[in-house]
Amino acid sequence: MARPVLLNSCARAATAAEARFRIGYPLVPSRATRVVALDDVAASAVRAVAGHAWHHSRFYLLGSPDGLHLERVGSGESVPLAPELDGVDAVVMVAGTADGASAAATIGASCTVRGVMTAGLVLDDDETRDALAALRPYARVLMVPADVEDLVELLRAIRA
Amino acid sequence: MLRTEINELLTQTGPGTRMGDLFRRYWMPALLAEELPDDDCAPVRVKILSERLVAFRDSQGRYGLVDEFCAHRGVSLWFGRNEDSGLRCAYHGWKYDYTGQCVEVPSEPETGNFAANVKLRSYPLVKVGDVLWTYLGDPEHQPPLPEWEFVRVPGEQTYTSKRWQECNWLQALEGGIDSSHVTFLHSGNLNTDPLFKGSKGNEYNKNDVKPFFEVAENEGGLLIGARRNAEEGHYYWRVTPWVMPNFTMVPPRGDHPVHGHFWVPIDDENCWVYTFDYHPVRALTTAEVDAMKAGLGVHNENIPGTYRPVANKDNDYLMDRDAQRRGEMYSGIKGIAIQDSSLQESMGPIVDRTKERLVATDAGIIKARQRLRKAALALAEQGTPPPGLAPEHQRIRSASIVLPADQSMLDGVRDAVVARPGVAQTTV
Repeated sequence: MARPVLLNSCARAATAAEARFRIGYPLVPSRATRVVALDDVAASAVRAVAGHAWHHSRFYLLGSPDGLHLERVGSGESVPLAPELDGVDAVVMVAGTADGASAAATIGASCTVRGVMTAGLVLDDDETRDALAALRPYARVLMVPADVEDLVELLRAIRA
Repeated sequence: MLRTEINELLTQTGPGTRMGDLFRRYWMPALLAEELPDDDCAPVRVKILSERLVAFRDSQGRYGLVDEFCAHRGVSLWFGRNEDSGLRCAYHGWKYDYTGQCVEVPSEPETGNFAANVKLRSYPLVKVGDVLWTYLGDPEHQPPLPEWEFVRVPGEQTYTSKRWQECNWLQALEGGIDSSHVTFLHSGNLNTDPLFKGSKGNEYNKNDVKPFFEVAENEGGLLIGARRNAEEGHYYWRVTPWVMPNFTMVPPRGDHPVHGHFWVPIDDENCWVYTFDYHPVRALTTAEVDAMKAGLGVHNENIPGTYRPVANKDNDYLMDRDAQRRGEMYSGIKGIAIQDSSLQESMGPIVDRTKERLVATDAGIIKARQRLRKAALALAEQGTPPPGLAPEHQRIRSASIVLPADQSMLDGVRDAVVARPGVAQTTV
């Protein structure tokens, strides 16, 4: 087996001194993320978070119970679901009740077809258990119970 | 990603830092009991939370953990003589008892009180199970002794090892709550390692390599569930508990012993990984203990006489490219512990989290960092005691279980994740 002859040709290059020589370069653009409130409880949380500064994130309420239409937070514009998922990296569904189960199924299926990662946040509420059951089949990752701060942290962490 | 100041807050644990103050609210593993095997045995240097200390066991079996350096001229007491119920400095013979109290200064008159006014900083050192625990915080806030099941079961039911990992404690801990890496990095071990193989759960693992994750708040920390398809209408759940700040467990497989880790900061660029295996209701077999001592399961083989792994960064972790090509080991590195440490050390001593690109499946890590940050700030700003101190937070287990698809993870594992004496682990 060939033996390393330079520090940076072996695992010792992970020292603090060598770490200084790592290449610094601009990070890739932020991720395109869509955040959808699935019910009235979730709507207030999503509205609050939409007011923060984000890069390529968009925030929605349900425009129709089946989730095929969404309403953009802020403008109130009604848009069909499918085009809003084009080029998207991740969809975060937020639920406080089970009211959005049908919409979660629609959005989840649409994401599966497009290969879009799904995440779900279940707000801490009396109906957490029902909301969880509604979201579980369609969210690759679930955080439960969650609150507005969790949503902010998740979006920041994934550079939304 | 994290902002620089948050990364520093979470990774710095020395005296006077906010995370250091948080750690100083808990009992922490300081040594294995085997390191101080006899009365008057050789003292041991201990560095923990960036404090340099020396541990010794006096003539009466009492454990002392005191400032490493003699109050006289700053000589390391590791060179000292452990004799007649005290540790005597090899330079001028100053002698200290297990509390750090100076009891003899040979150059001073015997009738004087010079020695009585000299005391080294000292901390309690208590044996619970096979581990010597210390508490580095304010005595006024000292919590009850540790209640972790691995140190509370009878001695023949538990085994603990220890290894030095050359990186910050947080990136080591984050490996413990990152369930999604197991499918890749550790994929070669499930069917061959005697401490894992043969369980029904392994089949579920193999048949569904794209698990769903559920990150649930628990009183002492988090429960992180990985969900895979099982029989029709059922899911196979593997539930990993994290208890603040640095305790994690691995979900069990069959009737194999249950295992987990403590990730203890040595300083900001090194940590001790305490790795335990225990069975709640039976003695470990000779074969199991032999396998653990040989470095199988989640343990590792250390350089004899040390706690440094045989496979380490000086030898590229004994990388075996042929085994990697043959598919025996995903990364070409042997053993789960070193598979983890090799990659975590490769990130550098303290990884720059401003440059990472997390994805949604990193939700457990995201949530754990958030809870650590909030707890450290609440302690610093309001004096709020952090989670994980209460004995009931420590009476916890990992679990693996098959549940109906419509049953919530939290409902399904509520009893299974509570450690109860005499009750076997919930496992598949």
